[in-house]
Amino acid sequence: MGAVWDTIIFQPMLNSLIVLCSVLFSNFGLTIIALTIIIRGLMYPLTIRQLRSTKAMQSLQPRLAELRKKYAKDKQKLAKEQMQMYKESGISPLGCLVPMLIQMPIWIALYQSIMLVLAVTPEGLLNLSNYLYSWPVVHSMLPLDSQFLWLNLALRDGLLILPILVGATMWVQQKMVTPAVADPKQKSMSGMMLWMMPLLFTFLSLQFPSGLALYWVSSNVISIVIQYFVAGWGGLVKSTAGRPTGRDKGYKKRIAQIEGGPSEYADVGADIVEPSSTQGEGLDYEESGDERQDRGGGSPTRPRGIRRQSRRSKGHRPKRR
Amino acid sequence: MWVKHNKKLLGKILLLLVILLVGGLATSGCIRGLRPIGWSGGLVADGTLFLGSVEGRLVAVSVADGAHQWSEPLLASGSTGGFGCVAASAGVAIYGTPAVAGDLVYISGYNGKIYAFDSSSLQKRWVYPPEGNLQPIVSGPVVALGKVYFGGSDGKVYALNADTGVEAWEPFQTGDKIWSTPVIDDGTVYISSFDKKVYALNATTGKKKWETAETGGAIAFTPLVYNNTVYFGSFDRYLYAVDATDGSLKWKSEVEAGSWFWAKPVIYNNTVYAPCLDGKVYVLDAESGHELIDAIDLGSPISSSPVLVDGSIIIASGEGRVYSLDTANNQVKPLADVEERIDAPLCVSNGVVYVHTEAQTLHALNAQTGVRLWDISLISE
Repeated sequence: MGAVWDTIIFQPMLNSLIVLCSVLFSNFGLTIIALTIIIRGLMYPLTIRQLRSTKAMQSLQPRLAELRKKYAKDKQKLAKEQMQMYKESGISPLGCLVPMLIQMPIWIALYQSIMLVLAVTPEGLLNLSNYLYSWPVVHSMLPLDSQFLWLNLALRDGLLILPILVGATMWVQQKMVTPAVADPKQKSMSGMMLWMMPLLFTFLSLQFPSGLALYWVSSNVISIVIQYFVAGWGGLVKSTAGRPTGRDKGYKKRIAQIEGGPSEYADVGADIVEPSSTQGEGLDYEESGDERQDRGGGSPTRPRGIRRQSRRSKGHRPKRR
Repeated sequence: MWVKHNKKLLGKILLLLVILLVGGLATSGCIRGLRPIGWSGGLVADGTLFLGSVEGRLVAVSVADGAHQWSEPLLASGSTGGFGCVAASAGVAIYGTPAVAGDLVYISGYNGKIYAFDSSSLQKRWVYPPEGNLQPIVSGPVVALGKVYFGGSDGKVYALNADTGVEAWEPFQTGDKIWSTPVIDDGTVYISSFDKKVYALNATTGKKKWETAETGGAIAFTPLVYNNTVYFGSFDRYLYAVDATDGSLKWKSEVEAGSWFWAKPVIYNNTVYAPCLDGKVYVLDAESGHELIDAIDLGSPISSSPVLVDGSIIIASGEGRVYSLDTANNQVKPLADVEERIDAPLCVSNGVVYVHTEAQTLHALNAQTGVRLWDISLISE
């Protein structure tokens, strides 16, 4: 297994890293950033699939809540209906996790490559020699220069800037994908997840070489950018609810025009609230993940049956029948 | 209910992912080479073998019976430590083979300090620098002309007064870090650097005499000086021979090896025996650099420097196998298998080969028969 891993994933990545460094002026910091971009680019289809699956799952939450309410006393029927709904929507509940599982070996290989290629200790350099291709450029480049900006990429960031950046970017990324929920239990769980991962990775960044932290920051920033273009700011705009950005206002106007709804909807700059008796549960709404940015993180609602369409959401909306 | 179950399942999968990720990071963080361990070779003087242990202590071993004593452990610089096996080690890693002169034993530490100990009591006599730390020292110390010479990871060549530890001349700066041990020959210090060059310095003044042209790769290889020629290997996988007088190239080996030349070669009867990390021993004519025979394949990387004993070259492969190469017919015979990783240079004295392994064991082997005379653990507690 180890040999297969080394041959198929680890060695190609390690040697690519060194070759890339030779192209990028022997700057290993730039190399880490570039390789992160390249790998994230290659995994873009998976990332998009994961994001869409996540969004689709989120968009089904109102309908799930409806079903729960409707079949509160018939658990068997509820389960059946939920399965049916997933099937009809073409969503696999695990769809958002599979791409993540596929990406994990890549992340770990990239991490291992960064750690090994820095070869800060004599044992590290000796060990590195076992994984090199016979390409002359690979051998002539080693050992790589670990200096980048204020960082020695082989050591921890003594100024703590990078660990803080890791935590902050990861929090932003998590916040963007964390759905607003009303259920206190769910809220508590998502709140815990929102903080757990950033804190964990901040801690890891305090312990591991800054080259790895640089990779995490780069990866997080790329995730944020991708998520922004796929799903907007998501849960991040909660704090600006009621004070939408110009981008949000324009988007709402377009939605209102398309939907032909009341003109006041175009300028409210806040959530489109459905005067529904189910509002107390805060879950009886229907929206796609694209629309989460418009609600500023508040309870996203709109009259059911009105189908929103926007330029950005085209192609991203999960199929519904 | 399904949703609840589903949520539980999703929660468990998420938790599993986090565990896998963190576990994967932590586990791969412990891949070999991220933590400095050390591989000090031994030196025999007056019936005592001195070497640095993995615990960061100077050890004095009686070659007669293996009885031994330890010095106090070297002190870490304080910049080490950390989760994920990044830098912390149980003790200060020691890579250089100790040097002995008079009643002092010199040893360099990965903590960026060089120490002089009393060879009898193993009490510390002086330490350089007295305050603070240099960058990690991988180079071993060499004593000549009343001075201790060594190279640092800061790329500098240092010379200290051997009695006092005071700088004898302004450190000479090379272009990159130095991991090799200097060689002193005829008033000249020869030392290689990761800047892909070998330097010759005046041993008395520290002034540069010459430097070679850049090779195709970094040089961690300790040069070998023989018959007015300096031999060294580079990370470009070639061996080089330059004129010791002016550094001009005499030859570059014809064959590109499969990996780096890491261990110091042996020269005998005008033949260079150069072990390589590709697991082979290259046998070259010292004058021309031509390969005399096909490289001898020992099957696993050779990072430990071999020794010459009565016309035979004793070579240890990384896997722990010890071989004897008969220079008369270039035949190799297995001598012993200590079954422990060997990176430390071999040491020989009076027909006995001393092998220091990564498992912190010192083996004494008969150089002719390979019979184990004694084994001792270098773990102090």
